[in-house]
Amino acid sequence: MLTSADRQEIEQLLYREAHLLDERRFREWLDLLTEDIEYLMPLTEHVQGKVAPAGHPIIKDDKNTLRARVAKDETGWSHVETPVSMTCHLISNILIDEEGDGEASVKSSFIVRQARKLRDEAWWVGRRHDRLRRVDGQWLIARRRIHLDATVLPRGVSIFF
Amino acid sequence: MSVLGELGSLVGWEQGRIFPAIYFDEEVYRREHARIFEGSWVPVGHADMVRNPGDYVTSYMGEVPVIVVRGRDGRVRVLVNKCRHRGNQVCLFDRGNVRGFTCSYHGWAYGTDGQLISVPGEEEFYHGALEREKWGLQEARVADFYGLLFATLNSAAPAFEDWLGEDVRWWLRYFVLAEPVGGLEALPGWHRYESPANWKLIAENFIGDNYHFAHTHTSWLRVRQAFQEQGIITPMTTAPHSALHGAGGKYSVTAGYRSGAPLGLGAMITYGEALHERDVEDARALGKEALEWVREREDRMSRALAGYEPRPAYFGHGLLFPNLGLMGYVSPMTGKHFMLFHPRGPQAHEIWQWTMVEREAPDSVKEIAVQRVYQGQHMAGVIAPDDVENFERIVEASHSPGTWRYPMNYEIHLGHDQDQLPHLPGNISAEPSEVNQREFYRFWLELMRPDGAKRGGQA
Repeated sequence: MLTSADRQEIEQLLYREAHLLDERRFREWLDLLTEDIEYLMPLTEHVQGKVAPAGHPIIKDDKNTLRARVAKDETGWSHVETPVSMTCHLISNILIDEEGDGEASVKSSFIVRQARKLRDEAWWVGRRHDRLRRVDGQWLIARRRIHLDATVLPRGVSIFF
Repeated sequence: MSVLGELGSLVGWEQGRIFPAIYFDEEVYRREHARIFEGSWVPVGHADMVRNPGDYVTSYMGEVPVIVVRGRDGRVRVLVNKCRHRGNQVCLFDRGNVRGFTCSYHGWAYGTDGQLISVPGEEEFYHGALEREKWGLQEARVADFYGLLFATLNSAAPAFEDWLGEDVRWWLRYFVLAEPVGGLEALPGWHRYESPANWKLIAENFIGDNYHFAHTHTSWLRVRQAFQEQGIITPMTTAPHSALHGAGGKYSVTAGYRSGAPLGLGAMITYGEALHERDVEDARALGKEALEWVREREDRMSRALAGYEPRPAYFGHGLLFPNLGLMGYVSPMTGKHFMLFHPRGPQAHEIWQWTMVEREAPDSVKEIAVQRVYQGQHMAGVIAPDDVENFERIVEASHSPGTWRYPMNYEIHLGHDQDQLPHLPGNISAEPSEVNQREFYRFWLELMRPDGAKRGGQA
């Protein structure tokens, strides 16, 4: 049974995560993810009639791949993050449901504004569907599906959602 | 004098000097859209995207929206996505399977062959006098080259085989499309993103710019090395790249050198035992099936290319004029990136990308090959976003036409691009080079000159 304390902890986790990302504390962000995290962004397409599904998603990262992305920015030579992006993650519409195995299904909506250099910016809007698991007494994110409301992305992805 | 009137002096490909006006000027953009994207042969997709009758994908020829569709009669057509009555789009989806296309405005309906098949009120309002056969969707000429689909909106354009000269066809068939080892298979799904700067800047990056790799992608190369040292395995950190040791020679390939539409391949590597051993090791980690396939593939390739010594093995990146970018050719265990650079005005483009794998590869190979596509030169990969960033900075630095008075420099190996492997088709010269960029602008200028329409372009 998810208690109200669990629900509050999960909600706080999502907000804490947003602040960690906006403050660029990416190593601490990685600690909020389980070792077997699946971080997935499917391809959004408009299809008509019976056709084969997309051959692969936009992103399907495991923890090591996420670590590689963080390490890339840490080199100081990642052009796409030089100077660093300013981001603001607004997380809303949080819906927490219990799953049979004691895990939690958590849906949320997001608006992320990414500002680069002088004038360049991108707005990323969409929904997330997470699976959270209790590990050593703490809720962690075990799976994240990111559904971007965009078929043509506004720029290359160099931030986390 | 307008920029168009000065093109000959602005595009000094023979001197390795190009003036930036050609990347920013509106009139130049309009003419190249007419001459190149509406006047020449441009890539639109792959036959695998429309395997069954009624299958279609939507794409673009420049800014012209098109439907690539396999008709009920089995024939692939490229139709302009624009109703002949009031010009409304008739297809709103990325891909699908349909019996036809009906316009949402007044209900004119077209078959998968583009013919106008029904019009509301045909008897009552048009008195039976509407000549439906004259009002079909505008249809482009189509060419299928080992599955790769090209189209032109210009009825006077040269035959496709003549547009692609013999050298270009050879390199496309043997290396880009891997015909001797069973060919490539296209996976469904367009991966699309907006990118700043003129389409030519990314086109010239792919046709010949291996010079940028070490500097633009330093961050990635460092992570790759660190992960390898720490023994952390991910598809991308174990992916081979073109900075190889122990292989044969490394060259720039210019197919169509000094003649027609160029195909440039950068960092072409000739075969060496060490290279095959590298592939064998990469395949061994994927299991017995992958290992056997890699060995057999090598046998087939060596037989197909018997007599070409040294023989080409892989390449790092490439582009077929005008806008088909290629990557992922450094190993059979990397998927192939096929990228269409669709222009969106003089200072922007969209990248429409699809993924190809070797058709006869076992599933274990296809799986890691695909991962190496979307984790690499892809909108959410660790490589492409750094390229896009450079283009964004070029645009920011170039708003004032005053800055266009200073030429850009394309002098690498200028005067030193002699053919080093004359037994191979095309011109094979030193690497990294800017010979392919110079060749790109040589041909671009030919099409853009007042008499360039003869090469295929419309006025």
